[in-house]
Amino acid sequence: MERLMKALGDDGLDDFDQAQLSALGGDSEDEEDDQGDEDEDEDEKDVMVSDEDEDGEEEEEEEEEEENTGELEEEAEEEDIALEDAEFVDEDAIAKRKVEIDNGPAMARIRESIQLDPSLPWTETLIMTYPHAIDVDVNDDLNREVAFYKQALQGATDARKLATKHNFPFTRPSDYFAEMVKSDAHMERVRQRLLDESAAIKKSDEKRKEREGKKFGKQVQIEKLKEREKSKKDMEERLKGLKRKRKDILENPDADDDAFDVAVEDAISDRPVKRGRGGAKISRQVRDKKYGFGGAGRRSKQNTKDSTDNFDFGSRKGAGGNARGGRGGARGGRGG
Amino acid sequence: MASVLKIQKANAAKADAKGKRKADDMDVDDVEETAPKKKKNKQRVLLLSSRGVTHRMRHLMNDLEALLPHVKKDSKLDSKSQLHLLPELADLNNCNNTLYFEARRHEDLYLWAAKMPNGPSIKMHVQNIHTMDELKMTGNCLKGSRGLLSFDKSFDETEWGRLTKEVFTHIFGVPQTARKAKPFIDHILTFSILDSKIWFRNFQILEKDPLQPNGPPQTTLVEIGPRFVLTPIRIFEGAFGGATVYSNPEFVSPAAVRSAIRREQSKKYNVRKDAEDAALSRKERRQRDEDELAVSKVFA
Repeated sequence: MERLMKALGDDGLDDFDQAQLSALGGDSEDEEDDQGDEDEDEDEKDVMVSDEDEDGEEEEEEEEEEENTGELEEEAEEEDIALEDAEFVDEDAIAKRKVEIDNGPAMARIRESIQLDPSLPWTETLIMTYPHAIDVDVNDDLNREVAFYKQALQGATDARKLATKHNFPFTRPSDYFAEMVKSDAHMERVRQRLLDESAAIKKSDEKRKEREGKKFGKQVQIEKLKEREKSKKDMEERLKGLKRKRKDILENPDADDDAFDVAVEDAISDRPVKRGRGGAKISRQVRDKKYGFGGAGRRSKQNTKDSTDNFDFGSRKGAGGNARGGRGGARGGRGG
Repeated sequence: MASVLKIQKANAAKADAKGKRKADDMDVDDVEETAPKKKKNKQRVLLLSSRGVTHRMRHLMNDLEALLPHVKKDSKLDSKSQLHLLPELADLNNCNNTLYFEARRHEDLYLWAAKMPNGPSIKMHVQNIHTMDELKMTGNCLKGSRGLLSFDKSFDETEWGRLTKEVFTHIFGVPQTARKAKPFIDHILTFSILDSKIWFRNFQILEKDPLQPNGPPQTTLVEIGPRFVLTPIRIFEGAFGGATVYSNPEFVSPAAVRSAIRREQSKKYNVRKDAEDAALSRKERRQRDEDELAVSKVFA
């Protein structure tokens, strides 16, 4: 290698060729074990180096021929695999780079040659330019489509103004019938699909409401039942209390029916009206019996030796009340 | 088809003078002839495909034919390698533009947009094709109405963008002199550059908001379709050939994409197999000699 470099001497190798050589030299060292081949290698390399020089010159000539207008052309070389990744590099292989051509002046020239006459009125070409560049994330579908929609909307509104300026018919009148791009049958299918969609949405909405209403309704039902039971119990309690209080009426044939009814009403109602004791119709004797000698009526014994043989029942009212109380009490007991 | 083409070529060669004159007529820049008359935009587009198109590509072509009244649809081109026949075909049909859909491997679609006599040609890769048939595209427009063209600002920022804008104006813009053109403006075609690709949309222009039939007139848009995305690959100086004037560095061929995916998938298998081999070799290395007290040594 060093002999070679010396041999080249002043000619030398420019950076590109040197880089290539070093890359190739590195690879070939790995592969070749025989020293006998070294001479051959050097010869080949010598040849290759000179080839490269020639190639370089040829390339330059070609470039000059092609680009007579001094165009920008980046190095035109194609690469299939990266040189670092290559496992086996042929000694004669030349590293290339991907083609990237951007020939601005040529494109401008071509465009001018095909350009429409700029004096053509707008109505000939109907071109609108959107003054903003679209800058949305490509993968964000909604915003991307919104950006395109905005572009089109602006174009349409600007075009309307331009059309009125040029007296160009813009809006299609409603009585203008002509063949459309999509057939009527197709539009019917589109309409049907839209209807189906909206119907499906409505149906699912209704079902959801029903489901929730049912849950809610179940709760309401349960609450109602509970309330009913509670009020029943309440009534029973009140009646029981009333019966206990009114036991003295059994023994009292003069018991007032109205008084009992009034008492029942009071018990049932939530707000018992405060009234007087039935207009004080109770006589002096009854009063004495009831309240005299320490209030005998209530606090006296009832199931005594005498009372077991005493079959003298009280008035019909008292007995009925008691019977009612007895039966009601029994019912209340089982129900509760 | 090939033999018919040869005869046609012969005829075209014979009637070359006539053909050339017609091409000259259509050349708008020829000021001497049209100076006394009012200058008009005369464009005709030849629309054809190669063999091996799928139904979606075919529907796209039909949609374009319906939208653009100055388009002439032709039968399939026999060979993909002899693209030089296309300028002659265009001459035969008096077209000065061509839209050529090239289908490869029944899955990739490439679109060539070219100006005919010796104009530039743009090769693009078409993706995300949605045709007008899709029921989600609910708009409709007059067949043959001249559509507005809306270009993004990004078209004016690069040189290739300006060239592409010019070519698309000629191809997708309906000239006033087209025979089947209808008077009113119904729809708008938008071209936007995003992520160095060209996105195409087609909207119908509605005067009133469809939800409020009695409200004030406000413009709304409904999509008609079709919609697709074009990735420019190369721009050539001549029609279907010639020097490359622009090449897109960000274009990755679909075949390369597919092979990269497959390589990724193969990596898993390779990694697993390598791990298995390594485990095996490790096992062998760690194998110890038979113990002196092993059964086979003690009991002969």
